[in-house]
Amino acid sequence: MQAIVGYHRPESLAAALSLLNRKSPRSVVLAGGTSLNASESSQPIEMIDLQAIGFDQIRSGSAVVEIGAMVRLSDLAAHQAIPELLRELTTREGPNTLRNAATIGGTIATGHPDSELVAGCLVYQGRVTLATAGGATQSVELNELLADRSKLEGSIIIGLEIESGGTAAAERTGRTPSDLSIVAAVGRRTVAGVRLALTGTASTPILVEPDAIADLEPPGDFRGSSAYRRHLAQTLTRRVTEQLGEPS
Amino acid sequence: MKIYLTINSESRELECSVHESLRQVLRREGLFSVRFGAETGETGADAILLDGRLVSSEIMLAAQADGHAIETVEGLSPGRGLHPIQEAFVAVGAIQSGYSTPAMVLAAKALLDENPSPTEAEVRDALTGILDRETGYLRPVEAILRAAAALRGENVESIEPALVRPLADVDGRADFDADRPSLDLPPAAPRVVPSPEVPDTRVVGKPEVKVDALKLVKGNPAFVDDIELRGMLYAKMLWSPHAHARIVSIDDSKARALPGVRAVLHHENVARVRYASGGQSYPNPLPYDQVSFDNKVRHVGDRVAAVAADSLEIAEAAVQMIAVDYEVLPAVFDENEAMLDGAPVIHDEPDMEGAYDAAHNIVHHIGADVGDVEAGFAEADHVFEQTMRVHQVQQVPIEPHIAIAWLDSDERLIVRTSTQVPFHVRRMLSPLLDLPVRQIRVVKPRIGGGFGAKQEMLIEDIVGHLALVTGRPVRLELTRLEEFVSSRSRHPQTITMKTGVNQDGKLVAQQMRTVANTGPYGTHGLTVQMVSGLRGLSSYNCPNKRFDCDVMYTNIPVPGAYRGYGAPQALFALEAHMDDIAADLGMDVLDFKRMNWTTVGDPLDMAAELGEGAAEMKFIPVVTSSGLEECVAQGQRAVGWHRRTDPDWRQPADRPHIRRGIGFAMCMHGSAISGLDMGGASIKINDDGSFNLLFGATDLGTGADTILAQIAAEVLGTPVEDIVVYAADTDMTPFDVGAYASSTTYVSGMAVKKAAEEVRRQVAERAALMLDVNTPGDISLRDRRAWTPDGRSVSLAEVALHSLHQDQQHQIMATASYVAPDSPPPYAAQFAEVEVDIGTGQVTVESLVMAVDCGVPINPITSAGQVEGGMIQALGYGHCEEMVYDEAGRMVNARLGPYKIYRSDEVPRIEAYLVQTMEKSGPFGAKAIAEIPKDGVAPAIRNAIANATGARIDNIPFTPERVWTALHATK
Repeated sequence: MQAIVGYHRPESLAAALSLLNRKSPRSVVLAGGTSLNASESSQPIEMIDLQAIGFDQIRSGSAVVEIGAMVRLSDLAAHQAIPELLRELTTREGPNTLRNAATIGGTIATGHPDSELVAGCLVYQGRVTLATAGGATQSVELNELLADRSKLEGSIIIGLEIESGGTAAAERTGRTPSDLSIVAAVGRRTVAGVRLALTGTASTPILVEPDAIADLEPPGDFRGSSAYRRHLAQTLTRRVTEQLGEPS
Repeated sequence: MKIYLTINSESRELECSVHESLRQVLRREGLFSVRFGAETGETGADAILLDGRLVSSEIMLAAQADGHAIETVEGLSPGRGLHPIQEAFVAVGAIQSGYSTPAMVLAAKALLDENPSPTEAEVRDALTGILDRETGYLRPVEAILRAAAALRGENVESIEPALVRPLADVDGRADFDADRPSLDLPPAAPRVVPSPEVPDTRVVGKPEVKVDALKLVKGNPAFVDDIELRGMLYAKMLWSPHAHARIVSIDDSKARALPGVRAVLHHENVARVRYASGGQSYPNPLPYDQVSFDNKVRHVGDRVAAVAADSLEIAEAAVQMIAVDYEVLPAVFDENEAMLDGAPVIHDEPDMEGAYDAAHNIVHHIGADVGDVEAGFAEADHVFEQTMRVHQVQQVPIEPHIAIAWLDSDERLIVRTSTQVPFHVRRMLSPLLDLPVRQIRVVKPRIGGGFGAKQEMLIEDIVGHLALVTGRPVRLELTRLEEFVSSRSRHPQTITMKTGVNQDGKLVAQQMRTVANTGPYGTHGLTVQMVSGLRGLSSYNCPNKRFDCDVMYTNIPVPGAYRGYGAPQALFALEAHMDDIAADLGMDVLDFKRMNWTTVGDPLDMAAELGEGAAEMKFIPVVTSSGLEECVAQGQRAVGWHRRTDPDWRQPADRPHIRRGIGFAMCMHGSAISGLDMGGASIKINDDGSFNLLFGATDLGTGADTILAQIAAEVLGTPVEDIVVYAADTDMTPFDVGAYASSTTYVSGMAVKKAAEEVRRQVAERAALMLDVNTPGDISLRDRRAWTPDGRSVSLAEVALHSLHQDQQHQIMATASYVAPDSPPPYAAQFAEVEVDIGTGQVTVESLVMAVDCGVPINPITSAGQVEGGMIQALGYGHCEEMVYDEAGRMVNARLGPYKIYRSDEVPRIEAYLVQTMEKSGPFGAKAIAEIPKDGVAPAIRNAIANATGARIDNIPFTPERVWTALHATK
């Protein structure tokens, strides 16, 4: 557990932002808590629990779906407006106890390198809406946010926008069927072309060009060495691309 | 801060700290069904319903729950009844230890409230948050499907054993049509293959409900932590951050000065008494290489100091304030490197004694010979040799180690602990605490799994010391991280098998050279490795055999007892080796193994050399019962063995990167340690004709209490409900060695049977007096009555009242104990079907089938549960579990998830067959079943991968990169 010295449950985004942007004490945004409350830190922090600020709806438009940051993963997985593959990837985030508490905003903020859901959001052209210190909102490409976490400082993720069309597929390799994948490849074909994303090959899920995979230098661990992960990235990407087929 | 919760429909205003988890607050409110499993929430033992959704209460702040509605299992069935979900869990046998049963019941409730007709996949998804180490999920899933049907108002039939027609003919060959579809049986019905030799019984052999089911399914306070003691202190340990270091100095002044700290213990203030922590019979095997606190640490996670304080937070803070100056020493982790000249010497202390060669880190050298193995190799037509490496895994009981100690009103020390060996713990505590045995009482309540991890005096001395120093109750519970690095695990081994075979396939000579890794402490190092040799060299007849073993000290966290106890390692090596020999000789693997395996009448010559008890007696036991042929036949049919030679099946046309295969492993285990393991039981009659049954045997969740009650009920002519069980309390019950070595049914069961037979004799004598009969020997007991041959009877209640109150008053009561001269082997056939992705190396295990000859299963449901759960635990060993370290000896995956155990939605199809044989030496024909399910899965998967791809992989686990690398090497 964390060394928690304070707990706040603001009832508006503005209140949350002003708590977060105090000079001290150090404050941390709490969504579902499944990652944060399971991590260790001895630095004193105050928790800013977002459960009362709203942003927990899913709205579908003609070509995009807007997902509130506080939508829980179990609701995301059950929602008809969410593309089928993303729903499946959502259930792969973890067991139901986790999905019932974790939120999409928290999942993006954590940006876990093995998150197939985040990889899925990348190929669905995810754009993240951030509320910043002054109260302004800002729309950031998900891949840019993952590459530059400093954008999150003092800000709160309030939503995610994804496209809804196209054909998508995913392939993965893991120790067991439900294990977090060692590497997973997610792809989506639209009229604009194919987008591919990988997990397990960098410090967050990444978008990749097929030609660039041979040059990846994934961090290795006991589940897969760097070279093996690169091999998986190539093999799984090829399989996904085959499944996506030629543009119709 | 103040929070408002609605708990089980009751509004509550509670005071809590901002950092407290919801679990801590709920337990403080007396909701003991919400249990600790891991600080990071993965076990789900802590799961509750928050606004109707299943969440982990461990990783939710109490503050987060403010304003929400919480349900726990306490709210499900107030009063004395059961909710239909609970009824289903009880009826199906979905409960083993019951530690996480309340969470599973809540998972079911959340699901069924939303979805009254869930599919099996939906049920499995609903259970993904609750890890189970015991059932393999088969029965919990079936219980929920059955509860759903009951809640829909449908009729649900009771669970009855499915009697399966025997298949093996007299020559042992399977007599069935291979292409016929497998049997269509309900998953939860135990498959029993009957034997005509087994006599009819009324209670034994029946699927009786577990005697502890009620308290477990309702989440009643029953586990170590489920009590409240005024003034209780919380202990925390300071563990070594180094793999090998000398403690130059310890400064505890800051910790002691912290308000609320009541004691700080370490090597400077605790007496140096040497011991071995393994829970074994007196005298514990040498060496005595541990002390409560040492001036040297020998693995990351070794003991440095202990603190007792008013709260957990204070204790944690105090631990951080202990300043330790370490002289870090070079460390060695690999068993083969540890014996090299120049390797760090792990036990260089002057008072070290009892190791074989401490200067070379060799704890034990074990040698055993039958015949002349060298002459055998010289004479053999072919000699095969191969080296395997088996790795370190952990038991992972969902309840970590926990113990609470206090002084009672007589100032005797009471230790309430999650242990498999209460009597050994009491005896072993005595010298460490400098208390006579009579001043110590050890109590084992319900415990949340053990699997050998708790066949150890692991933390009881710490709470004992702290309670004696402070005079207050002291509680120590390990975190999941601590459970990984500071408890026990399975011994890694390097095993070289060498076998001489004649052209006809007959074994001529077989040798097993094992280098085993026992970490820095011997504990079970000798006996686990003896079992490796025994099991590795007993399955097959061979005139010349040699076991040659060195057990090495290293600086990894300590291996100890783990269900299977050396056999899984040895049988992986043996069954892989035998498969490869068959292939290299061009023989059918079943024909080759069958030609050599032991059967009734064959001598178990290695048992005379390596059996602990038998070794001292120096007699050669023989096999007295074997259902192996029938097991093989049933397993072949159930797994679809014939497909392994079908090219279209092995290489499915529509999935070009998939190869399929089926593997087999033969398993043979023991039933208790003959001549050594002893169990005792007492039975006394009560006013209503019921009986108290008291014994020392230690139910870990296996159902031991239940089957022992069944044995007593069978003899005494009562239903199980008339047997009131109380067990495993050193003040109250007779001695028993405890739960290990697959001994409880076979040994403790016989003690119960003997005690019950003496009570039956006394009841008959009294009934004869009451019925005016001269021949009490003719009186029989059934249906709660004592009957004369001519049909007159008195009830057991009348017998009890007469003997206790009315005439020639006498307490009908008896005590008996039993030590077995034999250890008859249960046999089993393990089959595995796999799919291998040749592009990635990923192995998917599609099905596991095990057919076991455990003699007569006393309770087919609990027996089947042992096999189902054991197979899934064994699957983890072969497939995905591993303890991994960095170069400094720190475990890098000491968390569930990175340390991967199977969850409900990914287990393969599992099926267990119970093949009856009548083992005349066992109670009502029973042999053991607890450990054999751990023996065959890893080699069966390995052989299935070889069948699928040709790759012979001699290291476990079969993780994707290892398999992919092997496939490349094969190409």
